[in-house]
Amino acid sequence: MSEDFKDKNIIQAQSSETISGSGSGVSPDMDYVRPAEIPEQDLYHGHSFITKWVFCQDAKVIGVQYFCLATFTGIIGLILSWLMRLQLGFPEAAGFMTAEHYYQFVTMHGMIMVVYFLTALFLGGFGNYLIPLMVGARDMVFPYVNMVSFWMFFVAVGVLLASFFVPGGPTGSGWTLYPPQAILEGTPGSGMGIILMCVSLALFVIGFTMGGLNYLITILQARTRGMTLMRLPLTVWGIFTATVLAMLAFPALLVSAIMMSLDKLLGTSFFMPTILKAGEVLEYGGGSPILFQHLFWFFGHPEVYIVALPAFGIVSDLISVHSRKNIFGYRMMVWAIVGIGALSFFVWAHHMYVSGMNPWFGFFFATTTLIIAVPTAMKVYNWILTLWRGNIRMNTVMLWCLGFIVTFVNGGITGIFLGNVTVDVPLSDTYFVIAHFHMVMGIAPLMVIMGAVYHWFPLVTGRMLSEKLGKWHFWATFLGAYSIYFPMHYLGFIGVPRRYFEMYDSPYMTSAVGMNEFISTAAFLVGAAQFILIFNIVKSLKIGKPAGKNPWKANSLEWLTPSVPPEHGNWGERLPVVHRWAYDYSVPGAKDDFIVQTTPPSEVVHTKVEKT
Amino acid sequence: MSKIIKKFFGTLIQKPWDKEQAEIDSYHEGRTFDISNQKSAVIIIFGIATVLFSLIFTGYIYTLPPEQDTGYLLKPNLLWINTIVLLFVTYYFGKINNDLRRSEILQIKRNLIIVGALSYLFLIGQVIFWVQLMKSGNYVSTNTYFSSFYFFTALHGLHLLGGLYFWGKVSSRVIKLKNNQILDEEKNISALSLYWTYLLIVWLAFFLMIYLFNDAFIAWCKSLIS
Repeated sequence: MSEDFKDKNIIQAQSSETISGSGSGVSPDMDYVRPAEIPEQDLYHGHSFITKWVFCQDAKVIGVQYFCLATFTGIIGLILSWLMRLQLGFPEAAGFMTAEHYYQFVTMHGMIMVVYFLTALFLGGFGNYLIPLMVGARDMVFPYVNMVSFWMFFVAVGVLLASFFVPGGPTGSGWTLYPPQAILEGTPGSGMGIILMCVSLALFVIGFTMGGLNYLITILQARTRGMTLMRLPLTVWGIFTATVLAMLAFPALLVSAIMMSLDKLLGTSFFMPTILKAGEVLEYGGGSPILFQHLFWFFGHPEVYIVALPAFGIVSDLISVHSRKNIFGYRMMVWAIVGIGALSFFVWAHHMYVSGMNPWFGFFFATTTLIIAVPTAMKVYNWILTLWRGNIRMNTVMLWCLGFIVTFVNGGITGIFLGNVTVDVPLSDTYFVIAHFHMVMGIAPLMVIMGAVYHWFPLVTGRMLSEKLGKWHFWATFLGAYSIYFPMHYLGFIGVPRRYFEMYDSPYMTSAVGMNEFISTAAFLVGAAQFILIFNIVKSLKIGKPAGKNPWKANSLEWLTPSVPPEHGNWGERLPVVHRWAYDYSVPGAKDDFIVQTTPPSEVVHTKVEKT
Repeated sequence: MSKIIKKFFGTLIQKPWDKEQAEIDSYHEGRTFDISNQKSAVIIIFGIATVLFSLIFTGYIYTLPPEQDTGYLLKPNLLWINTIVLLFVTYYFGKINNDLRRSEILQIKRNLIIVGALSYLFLIGQVIFWVQLMKSGNYVSTNTYFSSFYFFTALHGLHLLGGLYFWGKVSSRVIKLKNNQILDEEKNISALSLYWTYLLIVWLAFFLMIYLFNDAFIAWCKSLIS
């Protein structure tokens, strides 16, 4: 605790964010805050290997566990995409693959990448590792529940992968799992496959809710002294808002998964209309497949932002640190994150323009979809204005950030195409859609993940990653990803439909053959390029340059722990006291080009405030 | 609520880089709401559960069979007795909160046990009603009216069981404690009380909506969007 603070600690906090409730010993005065600090957290320190590294309650270990398991499932998703591209580009070499296999791979690739890879990695991985460190807490508020959250995720992944080994294999109904076909005979995996998928999703949601409770309450209630909400790094704002979204959107996935399981197992008809099959009326009747679509996309569209918002937050911090400038328009960035989060619940039906909805609904959802482009564009401008006249370090982290901005703008613009009903209808179910969403919520967030890995690896391991290998990794991924997805836009324009096992008998598809071969070759190379990162990690863990403390000269709290990597409890004997926001870079009058968040005003008296 | 919204927007317009704001912020204790972590968790669970139950009800309205008498479940039956049991649980939690304020230790222990017993009674009553419903030929697969009812009450029951798990943990500790040590459990007990009140509200809201969203009303809604 600084001397500055000791002298004045009788002053009561008066930040306007503090709200008194009806808890014990509260004052009716809304702005009153008890002067006592948040009491010390009682942490369970594991002693055996099992309690320290397996059933561990330290959020940092849990974060790494989430990261590793999500990456493992991501690699499975990658291998599935290779198999799909093998079939599409070189069908003669994929003779072992039937149409059923193809649809199963499509389904599992989609679900794995969206839910079990990106969501788990951003919120479970980065969320767990960074939240307590960035807010100045010793750990999450409920460490035991946090540990259970990871193991629920572990079981969910196990159940999902088990579906590869049951009779009929995993579900092949597409990652959207639309009924009635998902549970009817004739669709691959309509038996145990779809049941295991639903069970796995339910487990994932329950597990995530446990983790999400921790993220929200830690951010709201367990920050260190001086850390107001508006002093939080944007990474925390992104993860916080994404968690709120997830808490409100995942129930829709849970409800639809349970209802569909009941339709399959107990013969209910939540999503099942009257069906005539081979001249025979099935026992189902009275349900609505469109209801499932509404429920699924009420989860599915916010899911895009559950992935994107943490990426927005992280990339804002990376750009600020590596261009040595305060983030341009911090408040606007926070408003945009919150605004995008709120709007994301009013756009879901733009995924359903071809479902036969009332044209007025289409008009409404097209309007809300286009409105969401406003805060999103604000963020892009602010990233560029942060870079403007910055002291840019053109290192691997910065390359990934720049790659993200370009890719996100690219994918965002095609989103404006698809948000309009009249443009969407002819492009629906073509490769244009595949290109759009892979650019905007696949490659763009992936680039942020990569940037974040290169940025925070020194904190997690105490060693630097190789810059040379990092740049090879970046260029191979960046150029390769564009080689895959740019041509896909063209395929969409000429009408090549998605989710087709093969299409070479159609005469008008011949122009797509060469392009599919090119895309598949690029996909194999980009996938293989990711092993450069794995090699880099393994190599750097052994012989990487020691990072020391705060190698990037960053301001935020995670770099200010007494030991690197941080130990359980994070802060040694005393919690840090925060005196400023996280973006004091290149402040006029300061000795260094960064002023960490714990620096009291008395140490930097000659600095000037930069307007933002 | 309006104060919370005012404070929320008040927070978002702060300028953390300003010297004057920085001086104020540096003495902020780091907690946003002056409530316990346990209570915060319960409130967040309310948010999630509200979405969950609302979506089930949306599904109910969306797929309600036109031929179904929507007032069927509102006729005199065991559900009304179960509702009274649930009301009593909330009443006893209110008494526990008063006992906590007056530090009446024995009353707290006694009322906590009553709360648990009544909650189990409610669950048993629910199972009996399910059996009665099935005996009358209304199974989960009969139509979406009954499917939604079974689904909703099953999830409500699961939430109650989850609450009873924590009730068991807190009660087993409280019963062993002596004198004013019980007051240390105040945060947990008041969080439990809040949770049960919420489950009662959800229960009542479900029946209110079955009553309000009758055949005529749903037909009118459908005419608006068709």
